[in-house]
This record gives sequence, C-alpha cells and structure tokens, in this order.
Amino acid sequence: MLMPVAVTQQEKIRAEVREVEAALRPDVVRIRYDMGEDWSGQWAIFFRVVLSDDAARSRLRQVANNVEWRLAEHLDFNALGVFPYHNFRSESEQAASREEAWA
Amino acid sequence: MAYADDLFRDAHHLAKRGGKHPKQSSLRRAVSTAYYAAFHLLVADFVANWRIPDQRARLGRMFEHRRMSGAVLEIGNKHSPTPIEADIKSLIAKFTELQKDRNEADYNVAKIWFHTDVARSLDRADEVFTIWRRIRKEKLAQHHLMSMFGARQN
Repeated sequence: MLMPVAVTQQEKIRAEVREVEAALRPDVVRIRYDMGEDWSGQWAIFFRVVLSDDAARSRLRQVANNVEWRLAEHLDFNALGVFPYHNFRSESEQAASREEAWA
Repeated sequence: MAYADDLFRDAHHLAKRGGKHPKQSSLRRAVSTAYYAAFHLLVADFVANWRIPDQRARLGRMFEHRRMSGAVLEIGNKHSPTPIEADIKSLIAKFTELQKDRNEADYNVAKIWFHTDVARSLDRADEVFTIWRRIRKEKLAQHHLMSMFGARQN
C-alpha cells in the first residue's frame, strides 16, 4: 500500500499537535499520536488524548469535540491521506494504567 | 421503541454496570453495542424504503460494515460545505470512529478500556442518532445512505 503524504510531514504534524495541546490547556494535559493502518487497511492517525479529570468527568463531550475540531482545523487530514481517530483518557485513568504510549 | 434505540439503551446500561469497578467485558460490550445501535439506525432507514416488508430483514443483512464507512461523499465546495453536507461529513467521521472502537472492543483483548473512552464512544453514537434524525429526510442524506449500502452515484 502507498505511504500517505503524512509520513513526509512529521515535523509539521508534531508542531501543529503541540499548538493544539497548548491552546486547550488545562482541559487537555497532552496529546500523543502515531500512524498506521486501521482495521480496514486504510492509513490513519491515532490520537491519544489525556484530559484533566475535571474535563473528562463533567465536560467530556464539549472538550472532546473541541479537541477533534481543533486538530482538524490545524491538520488537513484529507490532504495528508490519513483518517483521524481519537481516544480519550483522564489523568487519573492514565496514572492507574501507566501505559507508556499515553505518557 | 425501535431496535436501534433499545440497543443504545443497552449500551448505556452495560457502561454503567459494575459502578466504579466495571468488568472489561461490560465496557467492551457497551462500546460494541453502541456501534451496533448506530449501525441498525441507518440500516432500518434504508430498508424501510423497500416496498416489500417481508424482505426488509434479508435486505438489512446485506450491509457490509467495511463498505459503510468507505462510502465517498462528493462535496460541492470543499471550503464551504452546505449545512447538510457538513452534517453528513460529521456523521461519516463519527460512524467510522465507532467502527474502529467496535473492532477494538471485540477483537483487541490487549486494550484496556477506561470509563472516559467508553463514554466518548457512547457520545459518538448519540451524536450519530442526533445528526441522522435531523437529516434523514434530506435527499443528499438518502443518497449517501445508498452509497453506504454500496450503490454507485454515477
């Protein structure tokens, strides 16, 4: 399968994600991501977003939609040739799991 | 109440089961059921247009999950989509994320589910219900539903 444009745009993607992360603090604690094929074989970018406990508990839909909207505003996923997936976790949940990919 | 609504209520029930110490199996079933609720919402509307009621259940079984999220929406002006186009685009994105969540919930036993991710998945299903019920009578929405079923536009 052909590599997506996103593979050659790593620096730009990293910078844009950092910008979104900074703009959405303190609700967003950090955003991690990687690229690969999804379950159907399409190229995708998988975002892992750690939210503050307060945002995750009381404003999840609003904050999560805002994160997804901001990322799409900063990154043209169609042009990058990847479909964006977003997973969310609270700070407490990440502390309990200690999963490195989310750290 | 429609089957899709029943499934969505089941998804919420499963997500709450176990309180602060839910079983992974309950959380996985909640995510998977939320996807199927959205899936059956769309399937029900598609087959409802079929004239022969006895054949609707058979028709519903013809849906291919993979094809549903792969259906392409042709937007007139990419930089300025109409409200209906924007709604359909949003619905496709949420439905595609639900499919990925369902696939992980059903098959990736290494993934540990937490309440936040499960709640987000249920939120997405809820948004699919809301968007679809707002636009389901629109011609473009019905056309896209046919594309999700596999019918070509041209």
